[in-house]
Amino acid sequence: MSVPVLLTHHWRQHRLALLWLIVAAAFFQWAITRVVPSADQTAFVREILTLVPPPVRVLLGEELVANVSARGFLGFGYVHPFALLMFAAWAVRVAAGALAGEVGRGTMDLLASRPVTRGAHVGAGAVALGVGLALIAAAEWAGTAWGLHSRVLENVAPADFVPLAAMSLLLFAACGAVALLVSALSDESGTAISWCAGILAGSYVLDYLARVWSTIGFLRPLSLFRYFEPQRILREGGVAASDAAVLGAVCAVALLLAFAAFARRDI
Amino acid sequence: MTTGAAIVTEGLGKSFGSVHALQDLSLRVEPGEVFGFLGPNGAGKTTTIRLLLGLLAPSRGGATVLGERVRVGGGPWQADVGYLPGEVAFWPSLTGRETLEYLARLTGRPPADRAALLDRLGLADDDLRRRVRTYSDGMKQKLGLVQALQCRPRLALLDEPTKGLDPLVQQTFYDVVAEAREHGTTVFVSSHVLSEVERLCDRVGMLRAGSLVFAGDVAQLQRAQRRRVTAAFASDVDASAFEHFGSVVASTPRQLTLLVAQSELPALVARLGMLQLADLVVEAPSLEEAFLEHYR
Repeated sequence: MSVPVLLTHHWRQHRLALLWLIVAAAFFQWAITRVVPSADQTAFVREILTLVPPPVRVLLGEELVANVSARGFLGFGYVHPFALLMFAAWAVRVAAGALAGEVGRGTMDLLASRPVTRGAHVGAGAVALGVGLALIAAAEWAGTAWGLHSRVLENVAPADFVPLAAMSLLLFAACGAVALLVSALSDESGTAISWCAGILAGSYVLDYLARVWSTIGFLRPLSLFRYFEPQRILREGGVAASDAAVLGAVCAVALLLAFAAFARRDI
Repeated sequence: MTTGAAIVTEGLGKSFGSVHALQDLSLRVEPGEVFGFLGPNGAGKTTTIRLLLGLLAPSRGGATVLGERVRVGGGPWQADVGYLPGEVAFWPSLTGRETLEYLARLTGRPPADRAALLDRLGLADDDLRRRVRTYSDGMKQKLGLVQALQCRPRLALLDEPTKGLDPLVQQTFYDVVAEAREHGTTVFVSSHVLSEVERLCDRVGMLRAGSLVFAGDVAQLQRAQRRRVTAAFASDVDASAFEHFGSVVASTPRQLTLLVAQSELPALVARLGMLQLADLVVEAPSLEEAFLEHYR
């Protein structure tokens, strides 16, 4: 009974931010379809990319650089920092606000004195997080589909990008669950936001450094971003089950720990 | 644990690291009574209330509220409890009405007394349509009282309830508590305003540095305290001749003020009667004096 009431409250608090994130994510992917090179422009773009410093080529994706294509560029749009930022903003905002934010503001006193289990608070936060991420992922794909509807590109179909949107959702579901765990252990939203942002940025930077610096290449599996490679998904035509399993497992374990931690802590 | 009582604590304690916020609290509050919980800041009043609500895990002992053993995280019995935190905080972007509606829905009981409380405390429709971020501290406190009592709880835990209220509204609050009691609500009020406790409560518990130093009737507390006796004489007297009756707190050659235990009063009056007594005043202690004596 209490979870729908808590979800309504989340909706009231975050609906405007969610609307902006959805519009921004859709518009960004639509904009990418405007600027991707058409088939007759790819040779020129490939030449330009050879002039790009190696660390930046790694950021773009070696496969994209080696096989310049409209599909590749559109795929890059799904790991562009702006696209990632849309998901990260939602994950951190909702996760930090749901638990640590309420504790820090003092409103958790009012909530926790009601007949609402601690698990319901974590559960409602997790549902709000997941629904928002799903809507942002759907908006990303809708932006791509909308762009491809008005600009037809050879060998590129909107359906190709469904797995990318789905993996974006899964990646940030895992990040969001970790953020929820951090929030469950924190007393202030500021502390939770700092930790969550730090963990996400650290994970992103670790993935990047492990790709450009072979000495620490063995650390790459520790980054969540390692498990979302759009170029590979586009090449293989689907998501690697092992990558999805790792992200799913991180999400599940972090959520379980968040439930356990919040149920036992002092408020 | 004993059943039937609204609140029972047995050896309840809470430590934060090396700080013992509450030690070995054993207390019983009967249904329908108004119980005052007194103590200076940091004595452990708020910690006690948070332990009773399951917001904190006890380090030692346990508590029963409305016949249910309190566990961290609470339980269904919380539907019967109204709570006003000491530092009440709301969601700034919600209106007053949305706040009350949200909290009532989470309580799971109809807000039977909301309209009456709003009326009594002077929160008008216009006020409730405004976002809480525009409220003054006094209005937030009123909103806090309404949310705590709107669903007619069986037990109300009120932490410093009159903080920020002007004297007129405080008077209304006393009436609200009296009405709640008539409805059968047990009220547990923490306060350091002695006159308030004296006025509101049937019984009182006094905390000092996390330990309960007194629990009993307000009248019993006052009885237990020493009387202030002021005697004026027609001729000079030697104050040292009265020291064995109690503490001499002020003396001049012809006037003497002592604090005397109730049991010593007959002997003292008999002794004074042997002297040229010009005036005699025996004062019962106020709760404030009783309070200060416990904290000296």
